[in-house]
Amino acid sequence: MFAFIVKRVVQSIFVMIVIAFIGFCIKHQIGDPVRDIVGISVSAEEREALREELGLNDPFMIQFGRFLKNAAQGDLGLSYFFKKPALEVILAKAPATIELVLVSSLFIIIFSIPAGIFAAIRPRHWFSRFMMGTSIVGVSIPVFLTAILLIFVFSVELNWLPSYGRGETVNIGGWQTGFLTIDGLIHLILPGIALSSIMLPLFIRLIRSEMMEVLETDYIKYAWAKGLKPGRIWLLHAFKNTLLPVITVGGVQLGIMIAYTILTETVFQWQGMGFMFLEAVERSDTSLLVAYMVFVGVLFVVVNTVVDIIYGLVNPMVRITGRK
Amino acid sequence: MKRALRRFRASYLFFSFKRDPVAVVSFSILMALVGCSLLAPLISPHDPYDTATIDIMNAEIPPMWMDGGDKSFFLGTDIQGRDLLSTMLYGMRISVLIGIGAVFMQAVLGILIGLISGYVGGRIDSLLMRMADVQLSFSTLMVAIIVSAVFQVAFGVGKYEDMAVPLLIVIIGFAEWPQYARTVRASVLGEKSKEYVEAARVSGFSAIRIMIRHILPNTLSPVLVISTVQVANAVMSEAALSFLGLGMPVTKPSLGSLINSGFEYIFSGSWWITFFPGILLVLLVLVINLLGDWLRDVLNPKLYKG
Amino acid sequence: MKKKLAVCLVCVFFLCLGVSAGAKTLKLAMDADPVSLDPHVQLSGGMLQYSHMVFDPLVRWDKNMNFEPRLAEKWERVDDLTMRFYLRKNVKFHSGNPFTAKDVEWTLERLKRSQDFKGLFEPFEGAKVIDDYTVDLVTKKPYALLMNMATYIFPLDRKFYTGTDENGQPKDLIAKTGPSFALSHESGTGKYTVGYREQGVKTEFKAFADYWDKKSPGNVDTIILTPIKSDATRVAAMLSGDVDFIMPVPPQDYARIERDAKSKLVTMSGSRIITFQLNQKRKPEFQDKRVRMAMVYAVNNQGIVEKIMKGTATTAGQQGPEGFAGFKENLVPRYDLEKAMQLMKAAGLEKGFECTMIAPNNRYVNDEKIAEAAASMLSKINIKVNLKTMPKAQYWDQFDAQTADIQMIGWHPDTEDSANYTEFLLMCPNKETGYGQYNSGNYCNPKVDRLILASQTETDQDKRATMLQEVEQILYDDAAFIPLHWQNLSWAGKQNVEIEQIVNVQNFPYFGDLVVH
Repeated sequence: MFAFIVKRVVQSIFVMIVIAFIGFCIKHQIGDPVRDIVGISVSAEEREALREELGLNDPFMIQFGRFLKNAAQGDLGLSYFFKKPALEVILAKAPATIELVLVSSLFIIIFSIPAGIFAAIRPRHWFSRFMMGTSIVGVSIPVFLTAILLIFVFSVELNWLPSYGRGETVNIGGWQTGFLTIDGLIHLILPGIALSSIMLPLFIRLIRSEMMEVLETDYIKYAWAKGLKPGRIWLLHAFKNTLLPVITVGGVQLGIMIAYTILTETVFQWQGMGFMFLEAVERSDTSLLVAYMVFVGVLFVVVNTVVDIIYGLVNPMVRITGRK
Repeated sequence: MKRALRRFRASYLFFSFKRDPVAVVSFSILMALVGCSLLAPLISPHDPYDTATIDIMNAEIPPMWMDGGDKSFFLGTDIQGRDLLSTMLYGMRISVLIGIGAVFMQAVLGILIGLISGYVGGRIDSLLMRMADVQLSFSTLMVAIIVSAVFQVAFGVGKYEDMAVPLLIVIIGFAEWPQYARTVRASVLGEKSKEYVEAARVSGFSAIRIMIRHILPNTLSPVLVISTVQVANAVMSEAALSFLGLGMPVTKPSLGSLINSGFEYIFSGSWWITFFPGILLVLLVLVINLLGDWLRDVLNPKLYKG
Repeated sequence: MKKKLAVCLVCVFFLCLGVSAGAKTLKLAMDADPVSLDPHVQLSGGMLQYSHMVFDPLVRWDKNMNFEPRLAEKWERVDDLTMRFYLRKNVKFHSGNPFTAKDVEWTLERLKRSQDFKGLFEPFEGAKVIDDYTVDLVTKKPYALLMNMATYIFPLDRKFYTGTDENGQPKDLIAKTGPSFALSHESGTGKYTVGYREQGVKTEFKAFADYWDKKSPGNVDTIILTPIKSDATRVAAMLSGDVDFIMPVPPQDYARIERDAKSKLVTMSGSRIITFQLNQKRKPEFQDKRVRMAMVYAVNNQGIVEKIMKGTATTAGQQGPEGFAGFKENLVPRYDLEKAMQLMKAAGLEKGFECTMIAPNNRYVNDEKIAEAAASMLSKINIKVNLKTMPKAQYWDQFDAQTADIQMIGWHPDTEDSANYTEFLLMCPNKETGYGQYNSGNYCNPKVDRLILASQTETDQDKRATMLQEVEQILYDDAAFIPLHWQNLSWAGKQNVEIEQIVNVQNFPYFGDLVVH
């Protein structure tokens, strides 16, 4: 166990350095951050002086070394635009994205489970067929198109729901949450739907196919033979056993969903990490970009390691030292 | 040739294709769309790339059947005065080209890495798979955004218009290779311990020959299945990149960039600039997905788990 | 625990209700928010708009381009180099400190240190304090634009910004990229103080109780500024009633807002000129005046204004709009395809040539579409243009490196004066003096340079105008650049917001005077 953790830590440090290196190579290509900091009529010498001051003129390896040294102390550099430590900026934007993902996960769970179960139990029912049909159409509509459509219908034409931003938020220990105000909750609806639209069909199909497989198994047949009530068989016996694979796949899909937040957040001007990322590219806020890449990398490695450890603890058949 | 055709007609694949109306319909629509996009220069009423024929005074003409519509512009015009129908056909051509190209590149890269990783195993395997993990953690879109920003700056200005299509193919191809690598690796691991591989090894064939001649053919059906889905994904990725302004240049719009440019006009009443390309994009992706679904059912029902 | 939380929540909820019921609040959406609370950190429209809310200038522009007294009650010229300002008494900063002449002196010094402003204040020798409420501004040479510059002097609270902060940095540090005291603290004399601020998300301005200008009709107590970058989203927010006031309004949505009974639109012709520069160094063909002329004739800028800008811009034939000193009535836009083709033929280039063009895609109103339209117009005289557009962050590097033959640039003179256009865009590029910094066309005409330099020290406004008009005539005859249009300024708000009264051609809405019914 201990050896495993040490190995993982060493591995992840290596991964971090590689990511940071790639980030740094890109950093010099994306644009000149100084241009966005100064006004248009500032002279070339002044800009050069600023570049010098920021250390942007130092040789590549020196800049990289400096970054690594600071990063080792938890300092990922200053965002040029926000004039704050990059990590602080990222952490401040994280709640928005996390809440958005949470809400759309909630939508997905609420809708996909009953729909999936129904489609598995009554595969020939017109409603199941209809659902399977719409779900494949749903997969085929790009998330930004859904978002535009939602804004057009519900905000502009009907005036029911707000079209942008997070609305009123409440600060709880540094976490800006939109869950505690009515305004904040209303603002979550459209982006939440838009984001879940891409994953919902996938989950309905997944639950359906897993459940159908389980329904074929012997122990379900046995349960029928025993004369148990259908509700009990479907929910307790069958559905419970479809959950495990659904959760495994679901975890991976959740990661993909975070990627789609870039599009959703852009259309809704949602102040989360995806929006921040895209704006940082546009503003050439390169230090923030590199910090964000490293941050995502760390997050990923940590989550992966924790998942592996839990896996090992829960399931003794998996010897974690043996996992590569 | 004839025999091959006959064999194909007798095959299970063709049999189940004939029996599935959804597959037949989607296949014909897909063929029609691909045909239209390949023949775009011949069938489209105007040439949207010939800037000399575009007149700004024709901008934002609504579709023919609406008030103010013009007979020569069936679906209306976009903000530059381009015929929307022609622009869409050309745009779809680009989308299809990028979709197929990117998947081809993904497949080559992914199959190669997957084969090596699965067959060689050990340290190389763990290194390659870790690379795939890390890249997946960054999500296609993020990788594509970063790579395209870098390429755009690196290539300079004059070349961009000509370079955009190959560039997008490389970007999207590069961003999604892990999907293939993982699938291929998994089936290689399954095949590796089978007797025929053992036999080949004993006969003294080289590792490369075993990998390519013996193992690869047996991993192809999952590859075929994910390929269809990946084409749809690549078309969507291209649209997303163009939507974010990092894809095709304005002078050679793809479906995504058309949707994007129309988005600004959606509140002002020129809905057709977004609507028609949007429908076309959804239709294209939808029929590919439907075909992929069918193929998955027929070829390899066991794949459903993933 | 849960109960307590619930009680708290209910309290918070009613608190929110209470605040919004009692006072006039304006919800404002702009395309960007101030990058810092320090007005000297960046010279940009957004920062100056912010300055007019939280600080007050010595004088400001009124609607007729005259100077309106603010912190300076009156002023008089002492000699060729000196202007004397008599300051308003009983003015308090937000910190409670009284405002005196020393603050003006201190502010001017800080301006001369600011990377962004030092160029503008280069002609100034400094400020001389005569007494607590009298101050002289002294220039190095006679300077025609002294009063224009006084609109940029927003006195800062000297005492407030003196000393060191908790990080050991001096409080008056002008930090462009790092944290500083001035970044997050302000003390001006303006109507509003900054309450809550989360950069890029929300800024809340609260009315200052001890504001000196009691005559101002303004009745807004709280302004909540939200940046919404996407044009379509900003308009959607306005139409759905989420905000009360938006700026700028994208041209394509003017009609939609005018149709909306609850909203109104205010527009004004602006002074930002959009042009293309033709690089004579990169492309030998552009050295031929006939070719440049042909290109000017080929670009249908009226069409661009009508169709892409939806009539929300003024077609231009010269750099400065009407009302500027250098404006000449006879320099009208030229569009004539026939003539363009003849000129190409005369130059022996009727077969045309290929060239490259770059333009930003998020800097000017519809910049990308304008460039695309211009490219297709040029193809009608057989000039094939390879166009690349990019975000502004990458654009300026490319612009400086002159990577394309035709480059787009828009310019709004910080001095609100004709000479400024030419100084930056068309004087011979000179690294040492900094003139022609954005002259990517490499147009160079010694006569133009001479006239502009002479105009800087000419304090007789009539003589100066003649010089500047001559410059415009030369540039017109030389087809030194392709003029497109001046962007209109635009604002939209709910019917009960009196936008008309506070907006101006500089695009500095005076929110302090805003009346909401």
